[in-house]
Amino acid sequence: MSYDLGKITETLIQGKVDRLTELTQEAIDSNAEPAKILNEGLLPGMDNVGEKWKNGEMFMPEVLRCAKAMSKSMDILRPRLTEGELGSAGTLVIGTVAGDLHDIGKDLVGMMFEGAGYKVINIGIDQPNENFVNAAIEHKPDVLGMSALLTTTMPRMGEVVNSLKEAGIRDQITVMVGGAPVTEEYAQEIGADLYGANASTAVDVTREYFAKAKN
Amino acid sequence: MKTRTNYTTYQSPQFSILSEDQKERIYNGMLRTLQYTGANVHHEGARELFKKAGCKVDGVRVYFPSEVITNALATVPPVTEIFPWDGTTEKKITVEKNRSYFGPGPTPPNFIDTETLERRKYLRKDASLVARVCDALPNMGYVQSLGSISDVTNGLADVYEFADMVRNTTTPIMSWSFDKEGCRDIHRMGIAMAGSEEEFRQRPNYIFYGEPISPLVSDYHAIDKCMYCAENRIPQVYSPCAIGGGTVPATHAGQLVVALSESMVGVIASQLISPGTCVIIGGVQSILDMQYSIYSYGAPELSLLSAAHTEVVHHCGLPMYSQSGCTDTKKMDMQSAMEASLSINAAMMSGANFVHDNGYTESGLTGDVFQTVLDDELISMARVIERGVEVNEETMAVEQINNVGPGGHYLYEDHTMNWFREHWRPTLMNRSSYEDWVQQGEKTLKDRVIEKTRDLRDNYEGPRAKVPARADEEIEKILKEAEERIKKEQPAGKK
Ligand code: B1M
Repeated sequence: MSYDLGKITETLIQGKVDRLTELTQEAIDSNAEPAKILNEGLLPGMDNVGEKWKNGEMFMPEVLRCAKAMSKSMDILRPRLTEGELGSAGTLVIGTVAGDLHDIGKDLVGMMFEGAGYKVINIGIDQPNENFVNAAIEHKPDVLGMSALLTTTMPRMGEVVNSLKEAGIRDQITVMVGGAPVTEEYAQEIGADLYGANASTAVDVTREYFAKAKN
Repeated sequence: MKTRTNYTTYQSPQFSILSEDQKERIYNGMLRTLQYTGANVHHEGARELFKKAGCKVDGVRVYFPSEVITNALATVPPVTEIFPWDGTTEKKITVEKNRSYFGPGPTPPNFIDTETLERRKYLRKDASLVARVCDALPNMGYVQSLGSISDVTNGLADVYEFADMVRNTTTPIMSWSFDKEGCRDIHRMGIAMAGSEEEFRQRPNYIFYGEPISPLVSDYHAIDKCMYCAENRIPQVYSPCAIGGGTVPATHAGQLVVALSESMVGVIASQLISPGTCVIIGGVQSILDMQYSIYSYGAPELSLLSAAHTEVVHHCGLPMYSQSGCTDTKKMDMQSAMEASLSINAAMMSGANFVHDNGYTESGLTGDVFQTVLDDELISMARVIERGVEVNEETMAVEQINNVGPGGHYLYEDHTMNWFREHWRPTLMNRSSYEDWVQQGEKTLKDRVIEKTRDLRDNYEGPRAKVPARADEEIEKILKEAEERIKKEQPAGKK
């Protein structure tokens, strides 16, 4: 058997979920290095998709389809990658805070993170503070994401940051916040690490953050 | 022979998007959806109510047989009136076919400061400002706040907003709340303004606005508030913000089926609890922009969807809560004027009963009372078209035509004297000569909108001084009690 990383990139850009899973499996079976599949097959594909989205050549449903394909492919690769090799493709726990029922923005962010190779655990809407903390303890995510669409529910995000401190795990987790009324200043005020203005910049700033942390 | 048989002298031009067959089909799509897919209702009391009426209940899912739906539609009132609290009738609202009332929208987090023109958080003082300005605007038929107050106790923005607005306008308000407790406080204020509960029932003076969640969910607080309104005969809106391609299908017909279905849950609940109570559906109908991932308030699809939805809702015999005068613009500019005029014209032609969001900018994230002032003028222009052309002996003026004959002019004619004032007069649009325009400071539309808004802000007092002392005291008391209540509770969105 042989493998073709170019084909993997191309299939990812086309958003063919099942075909990409097959190709990934085939590549593994042909002894391709998992890190090589990720770095030379999948990531260039997603970069291209991101580029096309920004240029208005591709649109959200198409991008999300690619993200889904990426995510399925990552399910195969993840157990075969060392922590170092995983690079920025970590785990994200994301949810909407207590009292807030806004759903779709948070879902979009989660899906875009899947596209960046992340394992995403979406804990849902209207999640009490302790659920964020518990999920952080249980899943040990690289990023804990909180979404709030209401000015009245925004304070929950700061409370969770404090609870993470109390639980003694604040410095093990990168906290990202977002949602229509949330601002960069507010994120800083409550002691979050990152602010995502929208789904694609959420991924970009996270990548930059981890790249900086490495250097 | 002066009279004519079966002759229409006056016909409002209304466009029609859907054929009778198409309306029927969407209506049936709703019946099929509610019967086979059902809707989630996160409220035990409501589920009990539906079960008793013959619905199948499975966990939180409720399946509505078509007879439950048609029975509910049969008791919806054909007409409801909502009254200004000061006993006058000029601003009375009649919720019935072929009457349109335009107004601002509820609750964005930001507001354009009327002095600095900068975007900032919405403050308590803005609620009375918006109420007063709208009170003065002739084309705002009802009022919403254009923001949610950020500088009061967290969780009481709804109650403070109503307290301040109701005392600064006699135009009926469309209120909202986080939960039933807020709803109750607001209702107590409505009663205080009406004089007594009995008088409120006779002459309701505000409307309540609540939202189910697309797709097909009624959360606890939404349906709880809906039931409270029905019990207390508070006219109410129960309508979603459906996001085409996001929370509902990307096809317009699919969006209409889902939006209609989820709203119908509120219609059924309200009619089961209190047959004949006023319930209005519709809501925000627009698309998810698939490049910028925003809910677009300036998209032409918003106009098309809202107009089509109006037809389907009217087909069900219900009043329609539509949308116009809104924009994705960040700051007042040509885009805001264009997007607003298109949607205002479409809403007018569609014959929707209530048309909200006049003054929404930045895709619903910023309220802008300057936009509302501009929209007021656009609405009055659209009304001219909606009024249509009156055709009878007097208006055809064949005699006058004969008097003047070929050549000559009509400026001296009594007929002209009698009729020329019917022509629309602009208050913001400029028609002066170039020289006059230069002499008057070369003001653009934007300058004039700012000037008019600030003039109203600074010089129009509104009805604040007319508020009966007893009602005023009662409202202050309700606010104090609300502060006490919030200390004890941890309700929706404010824990
Ligand atoms: C972790 O890191 C990150 C990073 C980035 C993150 C992130 C997390 N989370 C989001 N992002 C960012 O990336 C996403 C993708 O690019 C973006 O997500 P968004 O969610 O912003 O974008 C989505 C893709 C599209 N946008 C949306 O989905 C939101 C659109 C608007 C119109 C909206 C909707 C649809 C709804 N609503 Co509500 N709603 C509004 C919204 C106005 C607006 N224009 O935002 C807003 C947020 N709502 C508001 C209100 C007041 C309310 N809503 C309510 C209810 C609802 C619905 C349930 C009906 C519905 C949601 C349905 C659903 N399935 O999600 C009520 C509250 C219910 C509750 N307890 O939560 C209710 C109180 C209304 C009422 N009277 O009952 C206003 C908030 C005002 C304020 N001061 O905070 C509001 C601005 C509308 C308005 N103009 O008044 C970014 O924000």
